[in-house]
Amino acid sequence: MPTSRSNALGRFAGKVVSSVGVIVAAASVTFFAQLAVPGDRATALMNLQTGQEKKWTPEELAPLNERFGFDKPVIVQYLRYLGGLFRGDLGTSYTQKRPVTEVIGGQLLPSLTLTVAALAVAWVLALGVTLLTVKRGRFLSGLGSTWEALTASLPHYWVGIVLLVVFAVELRIFPIIGGTSASGTVLPVLTLAIPLAGFLGQVTRDEFVQVLEQPFVTTARTRGMSDLGVRLRHVLRHAVLPAITLSGWALGALVAGAVIAENIFGRPGIGQVLVTAVNTRDLPTVTGIVLVVAAIYVVANLLVDLAYAVVDPRLGGAR
Amino acid sequence: MTRLSSPHWRRTAAGLITIATLAACGGTGAAAAGDTPTTGGTIIYGHVQEPPCIFGGWIQQAYISRQVLDGLVTEAEDGSVKPWLATSWTTSPDGLTYTFALKDGVKFTDGTPVDGEAVAWNFDYWENHDGNSTAKVSIDPYYQAAKAIDATHVAISLNKPYPPFLTLITQGYFGIQSPTAVKTKSEQENCEKPIGSGGFIVKEWKHGEEVVLTKNPNYTSWPATAKHQGPAVVDEVRWKFVADGVSRYASLSTGESNVVYEVPTVSWKDAEQRYQTIRYITPGKPVSFSINTKTGPFTDKLVRQAFAYGADRKAAVEAGFHGVIPYEGNPSVSQATPGYDAEVAKAYAYDPAKAGQLLDQAGWTTRNADGVRTKDGMPLSIKLVYGAGFIFTSEGATVLQVLQEQWKQIGFDVKLVPATLAELWGGKYSDPSTFDATPSYWTSPSAAILWIVWRPSTTASPNYSNRSFYNNDTLSQTIQQANTEPDVTKANALYGQAQKIIQDDAAGVGLYTQNSTYAIAKNLKDVWLEKSQGEPVFSDAYFTK
Repeated sequence: MPTSRSNALGRFAGKVVSSVGVIVAAASVTFFAQLAVPGDRATALMNLQTGQEKKWTPEELAPLNERFGFDKPVIVQYLRYLGGLFRGDLGTSYTQKRPVTEVIGGQLLPSLTLTVAALAVAWVLALGVTLLTVKRGRFLSGLGSTWEALTASLPHYWVGIVLLVVFAVELRIFPIIGGTSASGTVLPVLTLAIPLAGFLGQVTRDEFVQVLEQPFVTTARTRGMSDLGVRLRHVLRHAVLPAITLSGWALGALVAGAVIAENIFGRPGIGQVLVTAVNTRDLPTVTGIVLVVAAIYVVANLLVDLAYAVVDPRLGGAR
Repeated sequence: MTRLSSPHWRRTAAGLITIATLAACGGTGAAAAGDTPTTGGTIIYGHVQEPPCIFGGWIQQAYISRQVLDGLVTEAEDGSVKPWLATSWTTSPDGLTYTFALKDGVKFTDGTPVDGEAVAWNFDYWENHDGNSTAKVSIDPYYQAAKAIDATHVAISLNKPYPPFLTLITQGYFGIQSPTAVKTKSEQENCEKPIGSGGFIVKEWKHGEEVVLTKNPNYTSWPATAKHQGPAVVDEVRWKFVADGVSRYASLSTGESNVVYEVPTVSWKDAEQRYQTIRYITPGKPVSFSINTKTGPFTDKLVRQAFAYGADRKAAVEAGFHGVIPYEGNPSVSQATPGYDAEVAKAYAYDPAKAGQLLDQAGWTTRNADGVRTKDGMPLSIKLVYGAGFIFTSEGATVLQVLQEQWKQIGFDVKLVPATLAELWGGKYSDPSTFDATPSYWTSPSAAILWIVWRPSTTASPNYSNRSFYNNDTLSQTIQQANTEPDVTKANALYGQAQKIIQDDAAGVGLYTQNSTYAIAKNLKDVWLEKSQGEPVFSDAYFTK
């Protein structure tokens, strides 16, 4: 018993260490990738402040270079950045003059609300369609898989605009620019959830069809179990595993990729901040957001592991 | 083809909106608003871009700082300069000193008096302490010093006469801030909530969403051009950032906004029927191509002229922007600018035969297998770098594609290179070796913009705004003479000469005017645009019922 506990602890510690490693690596890669982009940060800042796109004299750039330490060797800039990171200091935004933690902090909750809700709604839609249409006769099955193929390939922008026209402009059920209010969140969530649901549904459907043909399904049926019971208790457990794996990826991708929904519905969020920061070469903000997204990936993947254990009891023993 | 898919989606979607809203309006439109003015209420304004700070040298910042900061003087509809914080002013006989008399008893919203000291401090802050780099560059070569004479008088001295000075300082960049606030508050506080004496005060900035402006109840310093005397009529303005054009415009129809900026051109006709609309043509340099005269095929004037003749720019602009945005044939000064020369704008009307002759004359006589002209074995390739998504919307990009096709007919192989904001602002395309033509604009209420853009670049005093790398001494002297000429008619004649030199030499090629469009709900009256840059003014606006 004691050995198995220390094993579990060791594994947990290992996971934490590797997670921190992932995050620091993400920060470092972003830091250097940003520096590798052609052009000069002080120039970009001057142009941002003036709305120009020109060169500046070294004298004009000197104050900015000194203030942000651009004139220091890259390694010094990097070590400084890394040092700050471990103290929880992500630096100050070049453009907004605010601490990056504040820049991100204000946008994190709306982003997380949007993405977690979109993921949840996508799952409900995907499972509903799968349960109702897989192997339900040619017509229903065809309808289900067509729906999935169609929605999975829809561009977010198009989905958002159609939802906006139908539900906000014509039916007036939801607001167009609802900010972070509950009713204002519905359409952005659906904008992200509908294509994702198609994607998750496709993956689940393939697995579902295969599992339905397994001997243990036939066994369950011969025991007199109802069709719905078989689908819910036996088949679904197997069929959702690939979709769970994808959800870890989807959560991270949604946080950064929500910018289209945010733009259409005038909603705050990390996606918008990231786009602006990349455009203005606001290195501390870009790096800060990448860190947060990396952290979300890490947490999401830990949750995926846990979800696996819950769905598939065989994995419980292995832990 | 794939490149066109995005604008196409947008157009389809906008079409849907039009149909949907027209249908929806059948019911609600009947409850039309009356004409009784009311006080109070909140104006919801749908803007596009969120600036990094409330004030600064980018026009996006001037739009919002105009609500919070007052200027010294303002520009009236007829182009004359009118009182604002300054009630009157005198110019010394030598044209070197401007003495302003300030309105008595005006206070910033932190209680600091708006006096001679404060105004002088602001000029020093812009010019010598990185306070506002666009304010600086507007008056830089002429500015000498600012000095408070007493509490209500301030003198600005120049080192050369510069009659456009008064017009230039009407721009939003010259908004006067409380020196106390700038000196004692943190940079972050001033960035988010600058302290001025304007009609509104920044109450809260919900980043990524909106800036809430609340009325300054003690407002006493409205400009002479104001539509009413007294503090703002409404209680608040919610300045929202809605990047997407379709949803921004649709928000007017659902009553979620009262005013929107940048109406999509496809919706403009619809907007004219259903709302009050304002179309503002920006003075200054229009959207025109800077032509690289230093390296590449465009070092030859004949090739530059062939480029200008070789595509029907007027038709492309009219089609691409649905007739909403006017074509501008003058590359250096737009039609809304005082001193604009309309004759100059007429040059280089579409003439492919002439373009062909010029290219033949320049020695580009043979064509390769792709139909591209060649000379000494080199193809006539033009690298056209443009800011995608900010200088050029998807509609603007369509215009460029149409032009590209026409240039191809006469033997130019034009490569369109979309550049991101980060690349363009980061300086990737600042070197002459990186492009042959690049379009840009620069708003300014005066033809003195010519000096900023076309001043020759020297080693001692480089001018990186001269994106054509075009150094012409006659041009330089003509503009300098115009800038110091006290007689307006004479000055404009000189500015006209300068425009002609640039046009004749095809150092730039005109395209279209930079515009601002607004749609305003019918029950909101007296929203107007200040003249110098088209910033919306909300302190006179009121709702009717």
